[in-house]
Amino acid sequence: MKPIFILIILGFIINTTNAQERYITKQGRISFFSHSPVEDIEAFNNQTLSIVDIKTGEIAISVLMKSFMFEKSLMQEHFNENYIESDKFPKALFTGKILDIKNLKNTNDVIIEGVLTIHGVSKNVTVKSQIEVDESNIVIRGVFNVLVSDYQIKIPSVVRNNIAETIEITFSLNHKKFN
Amino acid sequence: MRHKQKLLFIVLLVISLVIFFVIRQYNKPHIDVFNSTPDIVTNSHVLLDEFQKNESLANSKYLDKIVQINGRISKIEASENNDIIVTLINDISTLGTVICHLSSKENKKLNNLKEGQNVVIKGICTGYLMDVILIRCSLVKI
Repeated sequence: MKPIFILIILGFIINTTNAQERYITKQGRISFFSHSPVEDIEAFNNQTLSIVDIKTGEIAISVLMKSFMFEKSLMQEHFNENYIESDKFPKALFTGKILDIKNLKNTNDVIIEGVLTIHGVSKNVTVKSQIEVDESNIVIRGVFNVLVSDYQIKIPSVVRNNIAETIEITFSLNHKKFN
Repeated sequence: MRHKQKLLFIVLLVISLVIFFVIRQYNKPHIDVFNSTPDIVTNSHVLLDEFQKNESLANSKYLDKIVQINGRISKIEASENNDIIVTLINDISTLGTVICHLSSKENKKLNNLKEGQNVVIKGICTGYLMDVILIRCSLVKI
């Protein structure tokens, strides 16, 4: 999966003939939230890399698992070592397409379809998002849910009540024109 | 009877000790980058070069480590949380840099930072996307 993603990024960069169509952020924000009767767990990542081609609607997002910051360091430790196994799977990736990109106005509700890879497992996802477009910025925001079990993340039964089966993922990606 | 009381006392003591350690473990603080000595000292070119040449090898060497690097500032930005993000220039190739996300504690040092300046920064290395990323950074030398 990793070489494919690098190819996609290189493709984005090398193919500079219409570079004005490409927008990038290296400071995208992604957070996730787990609600359970025992505790709420939330983690934030402000180092998300996202590249979008406004002409074709293609989008590639990459995020380092170790960059997620938790309120409690023990949660962070368990997340990295036991559940997401970030030494084995250091990144989560999304590659997909913003549908109906041709008809964008200043603010739009769009559907993004693509493949999300977490913990080495790839799944097709469809995400509703808001996209704001102006001359120099493209802001994409949205919220969606993933099932922990879909990504073969094993939660030991001792802490099963502490971690939700469905995790809510929120993203806010403020792309700037790539040059 | 006395014997029983003694036993009860010991049991309670053990239970409260266990609770104490569980709570302490649960509330264990994050690593304090400011007051920790770095695990690895290098410069921004070497760090970037190692990630570009062999990412998985560099991951096993640097991930989660406190890395201290020196380098020249090419860009100073504010994050959406208004923390400082410093990009260290890479003279060798045009692609890829080292991006240092400074801890909020360093915000007051913004006025001392200039593009082109040499700095020493330490932070926790979380990996490589297009750039090597260090988070929770502190400025060692401006």
